[in-house]
Amino acid sequence: MKLSFYPGCSLEGMANDYCESIYAVFKTLGIDLVEIEDWSCCGATAAHSLSEVMSVILPARNLAAADKMGLDIICPCSLCFNRLLFSQKMIKKKIFHIPWHVTGDTRVLDMTRFLAKPSIIKLIKQCVLKPLDSLKVVCYYGCQMVRPPKITGYADYENPQTLDHISAAAGARVIDWSYKSTCCGASIGIGRREIVESLSKRILQKTQQAGAEAIVVSCPLCQSNLDIVQKDRSEPPTPIFYITELLRLSFNYKGNPKWFKMHVADPVPLLKAKGLL
Amino acid sequence: MESYLKDPVGKVIVIGGGIGGIQCALDLADTGFYVYLVEKSHTLGGTMARLDKTFPTNDCSTCMFSPKMVHVASHANIEILCLSRLLELNGAPGRFTARIEKQPRYINEEKCIACGECAEKCPIKVPDPFNGELGTRKAAFLTFPQAVPLKYAIDAKNCLYFTKGKCGICKKICPAEAVEYDQKPEILQIEAGAVILSTGFEPALTEMEGEYGYGRYKNVVTSLQYERMLSVTGPYGGHIRRPSDGKIPRKVAWIQCVMSRDLARNRPFCSSVCCMYAAKQAVLTRSHEPDTQTTIYYMDIRAHGKGFDQYIDRARKRHGVRTKRSMISVVYLNPENDNLIIETFDHRLNRKKEEAYDLVVLSTGFKPSDDFIDLAKQLGLVTNPYGFLSTEFDEPVSTSKPGVFVCGGIESPKDIPETVIQAGAAAAEASILINVARNSEIVCEKVPDEAPMDITPRVGVLICHCGTNIAGVVNIQNVLDYVKNLPQVTFATDFLFTCSTETQQTIIQLIKEHRLNRIVVAACSPKTHEPLFQDTLRKAGLNPYLFDMASIRDQCAWVHGNDPEKATKKSKALIRASVARAVQLEPLYDSSYRTDNHGLVIGGGVAGMTAALTVADQGFHVHLVEKTDRLGGFARNLKFTLEGNSPPKLIRYLIERITHHPNITVYLRSRLISHNGHVGAFYGTVQNENGPVPIRYGAVIVATGGRPYEPTEYLYGKNKRVLTQVEFSKRLVEDSSWASRLNRIVMIQCVGSRGPDFPFCSRVCCAAAVKNSIQLKEINPGAKIIILYRDVRTFGFKELYYLKARQKGVLFFRYIPEEKPKVYDDNGNLTVDFTDRSLNRNFRVEPDLVVLSSGIRPNEGVKQIARLLKLSMVNEGFFLEAHVKLRPVEFTTSGVFLAGLAHSPRFIEESVTMAKSAGQQAMKILCKKEMTISAAKAEVDPEKCSACLLCVRVCPYGAPFLNEDGVSQIPPSSCAGCGICVSECPSKAITLKHCTDDQILAKIDALLEPTDSSFLFPI
Amino acid sequence: MHNSISDPETATEYDSCEQREFIGDRGDYFLNRIQGETGVNVSACYQCERCTNACPISGFMDIKPHQIIRYVQLGWRIRLLKSSTIWLCLSCEMCTTYCPNEVDVAEIINHLRMMAARSSITPKEKSLAVFHHTFLEELIKSGRVNEFRLMRAYYSKPDILHAKIKNGTFKQELQLAMTLLRKGRLKLSAPKSKAVKEIQKAYFQTRGEIS
Repeated sequence: MKLSFYPGCSLEGMANDYCESIYAVFKTLGIDLVEIEDWSCCGATAAHSLSEVMSVILPARNLAAADKMGLDIICPCSLCFNRLLFSQKMIKKKIFHIPWHVTGDTRVLDMTRFLAKPSIIKLIKQCVLKPLDSLKVVCYYGCQMVRPPKITGYADYENPQTLDHISAAAGARVIDWSYKSTCCGASIGIGRREIVESLSKRILQKTQQAGAEAIVVSCPLCQSNLDIVQKDRSEPPTPIFYITELLRLSFNYKGNPKWFKMHVADPVPLLKAKGLL
Repeated sequence: MESYLKDPVGKVIVIGGGIGGIQCALDLADTGFYVYLVEKSHTLGGTMARLDKTFPTNDCSTCMFSPKMVHVASHANIEILCLSRLLELNGAPGRFTARIEKQPRYINEEKCIACGECAEKCPIKVPDPFNGELGTRKAAFLTFPQAVPLKYAIDAKNCLYFTKGKCGICKKICPAEAVEYDQKPEILQIEAGAVILSTGFEPALTEMEGEYGYGRYKNVVTSLQYERMLSVTGPYGGHIRRPSDGKIPRKVAWIQCVMSRDLARNRPFCSSVCCMYAAKQAVLTRSHEPDTQTTIYYMDIRAHGKGFDQYIDRARKRHGVRTKRSMISVVYLNPENDNLIIETFDHRLNRKKEEAYDLVVLSTGFKPSDDFIDLAKQLGLVTNPYGFLSTEFDEPVSTSKPGVFVCGGIESPKDIPETVIQAGAAAAEASILINVARNSEIVCEKVPDEAPMDITPRVGVLICHCGTNIAGVVNIQNVLDYVKNLPQVTFATDFLFTCSTETQQTIIQLIKEHRLNRIVVAACSPKTHEPLFQDTLRKAGLNPYLFDMASIRDQCAWVHGNDPEKATKKSKALIRASVARAVQLEPLYDSSYRTDNHGLVIGGGVAGMTAALTVADQGFHVHLVEKTDRLGGFARNLKFTLEGNSPPKLIRYLIERITHHPNITVYLRSRLISHNGHVGAFYGTVQNENGPVPIRYGAVIVATGGRPYEPTEYLYGKNKRVLTQVEFSKRLVEDSSWASRLNRIVMIQCVGSRGPDFPFCSRVCCAAAVKNSIQLKEINPGAKIIILYRDVRTFGFKELYYLKARQKGVLFFRYIPEEKPKVYDDNGNLTVDFTDRSLNRNFRVEPDLVVLSSGIRPNEGVKQIARLLKLSMVNEGFFLEAHVKLRPVEFTTSGVFLAGLAHSPRFIEESVTMAKSAGQQAMKILCKKEMTISAAKAEVDPEKCSACLLCVRVCPYGAPFLNEDGVSQIPPSSCAGCGICVSECPSKAITLKHCTDDQILAKIDALLEPTDSSFLFPI
Repeated sequence: MHNSISDPETATEYDSCEQREFIGDRGDYFLNRIQGETGVNVSACYQCERCTNACPISGFMDIKPHQIIRYVQLGWRIRLLKSSTIWLCLSCEMCTTYCPNEVDVAEIINHLRMMAARSSITPKEKSLAVFHHTFLEELIKSGRVNEFRLMRAYYSKPDILHAKIKNGTFKQELQLAMTLLRKGRLKLSAPKSKAVKEIQKAYFQTRGEIS
């Protein structure tokens, strides 16, 4: 199986660990990820905020490139995913001139939805060597992957299931909670740190209330908000795992704790206590 | 097609056994037609059977409904087909052939004695759908204790015998050998002249929707589930418990408009009843659990019915129900205690506020059932985009298929009285269609002759638990033991529900077995249930007057609910008194007289004309009396409706039909000035310019209409740029060039309504404002229209027009009654000041026009009619119906019916429906050859009468007169049995039969006896 | 009996306000423009406040989401473009998702932000506005955005550093940056996309749109 892969800027930077874990997991699953050649930034919130044209054109360039590859696009970053779908919708409306030849037909999948397909879940289960059954987690989806449902296609936007299914396939004890898709504060921390802190800390508090030890995410921005907000926290950390990090762990990937050193909320003590490292 | 209508079948198929179907069946069966009542589930009852109590009276739904169901079940001309559905309908109006599939019950209905052994022993427990799956029932089950027919059934989906071929216990233990595993579905072919659909609605919220965590969080329930939680027959025996842990919830929230008024979910209409039932549920919660806090989150309180606003007001002020105008988006769960978190934005604190609730009730809207969607397809019926069989305003019960009529919740979401009204109208339409076949298919009920009875009184006492209504307070066993020891009591026993159909059979058996000749029922109230039990006596061959009832529910369990000991003691005393009276009772015999088959309709508006036609089209003559010089009434003021229909056209059509109808005599510029006689045989005088005209009639329909309120506020009458909606609408139609020059207009709602002087909501004004603003926007899209409202009450599908008005840019601002808008003339500039609390800002507008949504008031002169016909009225001057839920078009005075604005403000289509319904109720009298009158009337002993004429003077019904022998005589047909003359007569010459002095004194003496059982009865 | 159906809590929830707003005819141009440009029927709103209740940061906003819609209906352009709300909005789409009238509130706010960016009005949340501009500039420069370079560019914008030092957040952020650098999360350089030229071309074509 082959997919075209749109990593997005974060995966080259702050979420480099995410990127590595994705490649590792897909390799184990035997699925080829072909990075979209010479991909460029989706425009993120900035283009969306400042220029409607750019918010359509920027993702369209990548869609055009993917068109040529003839493969479904897989998108690990929620915001990229949302922007690509938004752009597709606008391309179909033919409001703006797009400088590249683009159909808008190529299927864009968020990575979790791909991994949660029954066939892939089956595959994941086959690859699990070390079930994470002692690890109590909640899954956190954030905003951009699920909302607005008219764009993302998540009819269960309040109680999405993809991360839950994948984590469960890795053997983790997944706890249902109400705050799967409440906002973490996104990029507002740049100017108004206190808003991110209040939103992200609340999510951490609700995580503890739910009785979970860690949070599973798929969005690089959510990860960094929830992770960084723990920087000066005195309580024991609540590790924020990318879903692929969790999978990699359950696949008993021959590796070592150094992968986790990029986390601010250090997961190593927890994983060691659980006998998972 | 034509030929069928000349020779139609005198039978009607009614599909749906809820309140709509039941009312429809009764309205047809009582007017000479045979009815098949087809119900898809195991029992009649529909949604109403699942309700605990009903607004605005907080009456117990079961107590109201059970007698009706029993009546249907025992009606000789109604055949109930449960577990049945219509597969196919062929033929044409007048003669349809229906194919009906009847699913097996697996328990023989004839044999089942409803002993409950099968359910008791059945090993399989499954979630109970009747209780919203909150409780469990067995695979062998009875849907609810008052089910009709009261027959158990086996649920093959879960039964071990059907799923695994094992078990078979029920068959082994059934004492009646009624279990039949080999029953197969049956196909029935039925002929009928007309078909009526009353398939009702079901909650639109499913777990699939994922809204507010329904299906995900245990303590989030739908309103119908909550209704079951409140009910004594519900999963928690009438105690409010939350599903997760069985604890009493201390904070309960209601979220309104779930699956309603929601364009995003393709449900942009309002479900009409949720505001009221939420208020009711909150009030009941507060009375069940005074320490529980209740909060309703709403956006507009839609209390558009008679007395509803006062109910909401009481809920808030007297019962302390909190209402918060804020719509909720998400419900979160606190996993530590299963509480639910509701987040709202607190304007005062300028931050989000989390509030935790123990239980959240979702006031969910309604949808047609999936089966109905198939049926509609099968019958080729046109539904609206949301699956309802909505109708046209001049034919409010007709579907797109001739001969097929509709009523109730499947037409549009509606409450019980509106359903009952519509059911009557649907019955009327069917009745008119197959009128010539009246009485051709009916079965005459055989009442057994009265059996000879022992001379000595043998009293039987039946004590009712009324679920837990009585038994929850009164110690039944203690009362029973006491009653058994009373010397005059031959036999005594108790029942869970003494009024159920099954119990009636048992009572007949007991009467025969113990040779009982006096029966005392200790139960709810004789007001509702006496006729039912008297009928049972009749069937047992016992004279129905040998009956007395002790009201141990209303007068003991309810009024002394917090003192079980006293309630028990009082129950004993009341039963003792009833027994004492019973011993004194004697058999009496009703008499009968010929019916005058003419109808009288008072009021020539749309309601009056429609009522007249409903009767006249069924072959009976009608006197139509109108006080003005032309027909048309209030509707003459209206030029077009919200839905784009034309009232003038309807009026023209009705007048055309009325004036040419051979069965209708119209009296214009006339008034009814005298009214005498009694139900079925009234006589009166119509006064017109040519003098008095004596008329005779069997029934009266009061359709005296209403009038527009003429405002005194907001510069009306002082500034010519201040108009009413009616005036504005007229001008819009007449002068569109004027309309296209309007730049800015302000409409003010609730003018003369919902205030201290006149607390009623006028129901139609919101729609009128919406209608006129859409009309103006269509003529003049640039006009700025500002509507200042308190609650927008565009209920039902009218909500679509509210949406349309907004989409067209009409601005709606809410004002609160403490901050009414101010209208003033600022040096020639008409100015409106108002405050919007959503923005927290004051506004000023200088409009070209201020349009006042002035409400509807009852017509002048109705007091005279009320006095003449002895009718009750509510404070606002509208007439008071016999029962707000189940008898909305009747008066307590028999033979007099009510339609249109005289009842309360309503839309034209609602008036038309009501008039048809009232017409059909009148038909129940008119189509009878003779009327039976009760024997419980006053009688003068000529030997004792001193002809003092006191009785003649005091009788409010004018019954007594001095006969040829010079003594007072009271014709039974005129006597209402009130007893005033009896107590006034100085010679003690008058006796009220069935209420003799001896009987009453016996009762009083027994009441005053000491409570031990050794006392003697004054025989 | 006084039949007051008002919400007793709401009635006391506000202070009285003396100033009066005049509703004239001028609002419709702005309303029609917004509706035309976004395809959102703003008029459909019935002020149920679901959006404001759903919004995670309505407490931080000066004009609440449901009020934004009303302001648009009234044509209060300046107030809207001067508001903090349009810059604070997280685009979490809660408001849009829960609106029963299909009013895309988030899109309206976003659109207002674009309008504000193009206008001469000084943004109320300058630090956020500048950030978006910086982000786009970085994007145009390299085709992709590197966090380190982005932050460097951002801090070198006029007033930003100054403001951060003044309100005390600079020290915090510097510490954070050091932590991230130590953790290896801040990459000091990143590959550029070869698409820069194409993107720049497209960007300059639409430049009139941007500022």
